[in-house]
Amino acid sequence: MKWDFASVFANTDALLVGAAGTLRIFAICLVLGLSLGLVVGLGRYARNQWLHWPATAFVEFFRNTPVLVQILWFYFALPILLPFSISPLAAAALGISLNSAAFSAEIYRGGIQSIEPGQWDGARALGMSWGQAMRRIILPQALKRMTPALTNRAIEIFKMSTLASVVAYVELLQQGKLIASLNYNPIEAYTAVAVIFFVFLWPLVQFTYLLERRLGRSE
Amino acid sequence: MSYRWDFTPVLASSALLAEGLVNTLKVTGVALACGLVIGLALALMRLSRHQLASWPAGFVIEVFRTTPPLVQLFWFFFALPLIVGIEMTPFMAAAVTFSIQSAAFFAEVFRAGIQSIERGQWDGARAIGMTNAQAMQRIILPQAVKRMIPAFMERAIELMKTTTLVATISYADLLFAANEVSQKSFRPLETYTVVALIYFVVIFAASQLSRLLELRLARSGESTVH
Repeated sequence: MKWDFASVFANTDALLVGAAGTLRIFAICLVLGLSLGLVVGLGRYARNQWLHWPATAFVEFFRNTPVLVQILWFYFALPILLPFSISPLAAAALGISLNSAAFSAEIYRGGIQSIEPGQWDGARALGMSWGQAMRRIILPQALKRMTPALTNRAIEIFKMSTLASVVAYVELLQQGKLIASLNYNPIEAYTAVAVIFFVFLWPLVQFTYLLERRLGRSE
Repeated sequence: MSYRWDFTPVLASSALLAEGLVNTLKVTGVALACGLVIGLALALMRLSRHQLASWPAGFVIEVFRTTPPLVQLFWFFFALPLIVGIEMTPFMAAAVTFSIQSAAFFAEVFRAGIQSIERGQWDGARAIGMTNAQAMQRIILPQAVKRMIPAFMERAIELMKTTTLVATISYADLLFAANEVSQKSFRPLETYTVVALIYFVVIFAASQLSRLLELRLARSGESTVH
């Protein structure tokens, strides 16, 4: 068995296109997932039943079904109910974003609940409304505690982005498949893709460890 | 809405879907069992003072935790058979990938659990003449495992969701059965909705069970690790 990475290096262009696709869907899902997650998390935290129950149903449904099933549902099933078709990017981004929103909602809720009631009392004593207290007092402190969990979510989103290849969205793994089938070099092609993901993700993972240690020391 | 839902083609394929669910549970069970055993070995190696044991274990854990599961699965299915020269069935590739992958995650749970046990327990075991291995086996692990139960359950549930990836290498799990039924019946909406609900019922039940266990452990005053 002789390893020959020349056939992979000859396709650097294709891998760059794939990397751009991976970064694009990662960015979309990160922004959509984490911001929608905050909305759903606030809904879960709310006492109002009309906010609490829909948010809870959303979280339970998206946390308790596989993300690949969600993506395939958005790609194959949803267009039947709509007057237009759904692109691979849209289907994958929808599935991954909603799934991440459900998981991050629980992080936000946990973070907000972890703030001592005294902080609320203090904010109210200063005459702040609920919204003001949440925005200026509670969330800034909660966000600090949530950072490691949210960074972990970002890493999960990056890994999940490979599932977009199942609906033929052009990202790194999809390009790896293409290179492997055109050059008959699955060993080198898939090893290269694995190494690229590792190089992207390893610093992020180390950063999370560092954050966890820092936070563990300060709180 | 003008669309008329028709679940009869999906119901007619319930045998196929049931078989798919059994295969999903099979691959989850095998990966879980192997993952626990390999995970304990990796954790003990990583905690070892010998660099020759701790470094390779650390490497395996880091690689499998920081690369996407689908890339791992493709590597084991398409690349590994060419390197070692043996045929890999989709089931074998899936079992190997998810066993090592969950072992990497379980190893960190084991490590956290073992490290959470107070030093006094080690001292006590040594004081009554136990070797390190005896202390680990009889004193430390039994206490640590109890604290790890919620984390194990959580990981097992994640594993079950991740096994849907095996459909991409044509292992006949529940999702693969869904793809087939959907294509044959031209009823993707009904098929994927039903299959999503099946996953939901199974995984939701497992999540509730895990929550119940965690509550019970918390009530008995046991601390847990994550």
